[in-house]
Amino acid sequence: MSGHNESILREPLITGDNITYAKITDDILGPVENKPNKAWWIGFTFASLGALLWVVAVSYTFWNGIGAWGLNKTVGWAWDITGFVWWVGIGHAGTLISAVLLLFRQNWRNSINRSAEAMTIFAVICAATYVVSHMGRPWLAYWVLPLPNQFGSLWVNFNSPLVWDMFAISTYFSVSLLFWYTGLLPDIATIRDRAVGTRRKIYSIFSFGWSGSVKTWQRFEAVSLILAGISTPLVLSVHTIVSMDFATSVIPGWHTTIFPPYFVAGAIFSGFAMVLTLLLVARKVLGLENYITMFHIESMNKIIILTGSIVGVAYLTEFFIAWYSGSEYEQYAFINRSTGPYWWAYWMMMTCNVISPQLLWFKKIRLSIRATWILSIVVNIGMWFERFVIIVTSLHRDYIPSSWAMFYPTWVDISVFVGSIGLFFTLFLLFLRVLPSIAIAEVKLLLKTASEQAKMKQIKEGHENKEYVAEYVESLEKFDSVKQEDYAKI
Amino acid sequence: MSDIKYILGSFGDPDEMMHGIEKLQENNISIHDVYTPMPIHGIEAKLGIKRSRIDIAAFCFGITGTCCAFALIYFCAVIDWRVNIGGKPSFALPDFIPIMFELTVLFCAFGMVLTYYASTHLFPGRAPRVMDLRATDDRFVIAVDAKDNVEHTVIDGLLKDAGALEIKYNERKYISYE
Amino acid sequence: MGTHNINFSEQFEFTGKVKTLSIVGIALGIAAVAYGFLAGDKVMHERTFANLLLMAYYFACVCMSGTFFLAVQYVAQAGWSASILRVPQAMAKTLPIAAVILVVIISAGLYTHNLYHHWHADGLTDPNSANYDSIIAGKSVFLNVPFFLGRQVVFLGIYSIFSIMFVKFSYNEDLAGGLNAYRKSFKNACIFLVIYGFTTPIFAFDTVMSLEAHWFSTMFGWYNFAAMWVSSLATIAIILILLRRAGYMQWVNNSHLHNLGQFIFGFSIFWTYVWFAQFLLIYYANMPEETVYFYKRFEYYKFWFFLNLAMNFLAPVLLLMDRDNKRTDAKLLFVSIVVLLGHWVDYYQMIMPGAVEEGHNGFGIIEIGTALGFVGLFTFTVLTSLSKKPLIAKNHPLLQESLHHQL
Repeated sequence: MSGHNESILREPLITGDNITYAKITDDILGPVENKPNKAWWIGFTFASLGALLWVVAVSYTFWNGIGAWGLNKTVGWAWDITGFVWWVGIGHAGTLISAVLLLFRQNWRNSINRSAEAMTIFAVICAATYVVSHMGRPWLAYWVLPLPNQFGSLWVNFNSPLVWDMFAISTYFSVSLLFWYTGLLPDIATIRDRAVGTRRKIYSIFSFGWSGSVKTWQRFEAVSLILAGISTPLVLSVHTIVSMDFATSVIPGWHTTIFPPYFVAGAIFSGFAMVLTLLLVARKVLGLENYITMFHIESMNKIIILTGSIVGVAYLTEFFIAWYSGSEYEQYAFINRSTGPYWWAYWMMMTCNVISPQLLWFKKIRLSIRATWILSIVVNIGMWFERFVIIVTSLHRDYIPSSWAMFYPTWVDISVFVGSIGLFFTLFLLFLRVLPSIAIAEVKLLLKTASEQAKMKQIKEGHENKEYVAEYVESLEKFDSVKQEDYAKI
Repeated sequence: MSDIKYILGSFGDPDEMMHGIEKLQENNISIHDVYTPMPIHGIEAKLGIKRSRIDIAAFCFGITGTCCAFALIYFCAVIDWRVNIGGKPSFALPDFIPIMFELTVLFCAFGMVLTYYASTHLFPGRAPRVMDLRATDDRFVIAVDAKDNVEHTVIDGLLKDAGALEIKYNERKYISYE
Repeated sequence: MGTHNINFSEQFEFTGKVKTLSIVGIALGIAAVAYGFLAGDKVMHERTFANLLLMAYYFACVCMSGTFFLAVQYVAQAGWSASILRVPQAMAKTLPIAAVILVVIISAGLYTHNLYHHWHADGLTDPNSANYDSIIAGKSVFLNVPFFLGRQVVFLGIYSIFSIMFVKFSYNEDLAGGLNAYRKSFKNACIFLVIYGFTTPIFAFDTVMSLEAHWFSTMFGWYNFAAMWVSSLATIAIILILLRRAGYMQWVNNSHLHNLGQFIFGFSIFWTYVWFAQFLLIYYANMPEETVYFYKRFEYYKFWFFLNLAMNFLAPVLLLMDRDNKRTDAKLLFVSIVVLLGHWVDYYQMIMPGAVEEGHNGFGIIEIGTALGFVGLFTFTVLTSLSKKPLIAKNHPLLQESLHHQL
């Protein structure tokens, strides 16, 4: 899709006229090089208050033990693991966007991959804090590592999916960080070369001495491609292993073979929703409408429909096979999910994840920023409920009816969760201040082939098929950043 | 003999810069290096840079990871301290595969990226060897070694013909050397 | 290569050796099946039916994945594939034939009690019968002959209708030009993908999983999807490479092959992932009602069990990892053939243990003959439909991107 033979039918990835390489740098570095505006301060205040709440709640948990949570002997795993899986899921879109879309040569990823990857890293941090805090004795967290020890080297249980998970999450976090940081080097160098004084010194250290010579770039591209190649199965494996935390057990509702790919689809689904939630605001506040265009938003919405439908297929398959299996426990687990005391959670999940995303089939809704933003939040609510349904409703009515119980969260449960959202946003808002929210170098690649002005030039040359041009101009109507009157003349 | 070390042709457009490279090469003027704010396709072929072999390194690192993971698990779970878990054999190969996969990816990614950093001399705190500060922003810079290529006026003319916006004569090798 | 020296009306001529060979293949197939039915006893009949089911299912799956390929290309607005679309179109156009064959074989197998006897036999759902099976009785709302055949007919019918529609749009585009066909294809591709996504798991549960009607796995549908998708990609690659060698479609360059190679590589890994996830979860949980599936395969089909993994995972992954191998037609051709044979082994693994009594399975004249017969049939039908129209969809709006495709 690259090169000078791109069809005129393809919608522009950079809009606006008089976009030059210098303007791209200026526009993207605006938030990094200038003082933050009021919107940022308001956001940051709320987010850091949330993060503070998180610190309080997690400290309280550490001090008092996990008895501070609402767990009981039947439901021994609830909000903590729900929050963990939810965050890990959100942490999937970044690597997906940067790796899978790179492999499929979807060059619209160039303008959204950076923030999405940052988001991934922060989401995985949030998830990791859950892992540590629900260990009960977090100061012994290193026990999950296969370290020689004083018990005659009693090793960790390598058959346990929780140990696999430790390997998976730490690999995922470190490889994502590596991928993200390597991609950042040229952009940090850009900031460095424009800055003065201490700022320059700091960015100079972090730029690793990037110079932009031919060899560096050539190797850079080779490395990026291979990293994308190995990150793709990695991203699949991570949520696969998370799903195996449940699916390897023999609990009805947990043990089903479709779990791995179904969790992965759900993760991508929620991750894209979170990317939309963040970027729709960021593009407005940071004035990046020319780089994150309606085309990007529409494309992400399409992926949300796709993954939402895959998740829908999985729900139905699970339900169907539960009946088909002929196993009464399996059947009961699903009947209990949909009609038992947690019926509202189940239907919340169904509505938010399967039904409401179908609204995005309508072009009008897909292209409405407000509707998209609301739906993106709805999806994440739905995905939280999905995990809650899977975890709590499968546990709360176990094999002995006398031990059936309900789960009620305490203020600590709620605060840890709300606080983790605060922590996430605090990190994200800080990121926007110190690093470019869009991959500068990668967007510059698009300027000559996929920008509105390049296409305009192409049209003016007059070699293009009239019907195609008309179609192209029509497709521009949805863009909120395109001046329609420019096209009336042609 | 002047103190000029490098002549820099600074272009505003990648295609013009490519044109500049061609012109210089037609006139047998060797190019020291080219600095660009983004990767330019086809440039490595022009400058005769060989395809990167980093994929081979990546493969080797990956295989090392697989073997290390297998060795670790096998040693811990089969040789050193067998534990009966759910009646499964100690050597339950399918259960080993997730961790073997993760460590393959981990070794491959870190091995490859560190190799990349090492081979292109990237590490934290390295003094950036930059000849033109705008080469990371909006300029595409061809650097010609002024000691090897003495006909400075010819170079100047060729670069200007190709569309260079600015020609610089650097007396220091790297202007940002601190 | 430049676009000016492309012959936009180039057409494939289906004559000579290929045609003869494909007819010979069909004849061998018929002979093998006849041998199976005439020479053998009841067990042999079952085995013949199992082979017919295997190949008919494979044939239908490859063709419908051709349609799926078309739909994905339209929905993703992929440019690179615009110049090779006639090949999957020829496969899609063959789907109705494949569908009829599959339905006929299934019905014949059902009514002669040679297929699906696990859930279709006298007295299975009758509580007073000696044959009563409460699990099967519980499933009989779903697994009964009219509903079962109805589903087959409806699913395959819908896929066939869409296949014909996509092909028709493309032919109309050749004549009329413009964007009309492109827009319509896009819209219908969306609808098709939704239907396909929701129905193929059931299609796989029905056709293959219900052979062992007690056993169940939620992953089975996606596992079959992965298998059919990879084998279809391999088929497209094989046809393209052979056509190019025969002097046709010279606009297909190494980058197109590279793309197909990447897909085969990537989706082989996906297949392995799905296979392994299903295997690991069943192995790990160790519940008898689930492990019975792998127990049979591991005890009676051990060689095939490992061969399956070698051909469908190791071969594509190791051989296609290198960039140059994806771009060299001999190597890609080799891997594609391995993958295609590999998925025969895959289907053999899925179908035989449920369809043939233990100890009576085998690999001989019937297996090879039936497979050859269907290969001949596939070659004959697909190449016939390929020869009807020009080899390039000359008015595809993204054609220029495809002709200049460079990686």
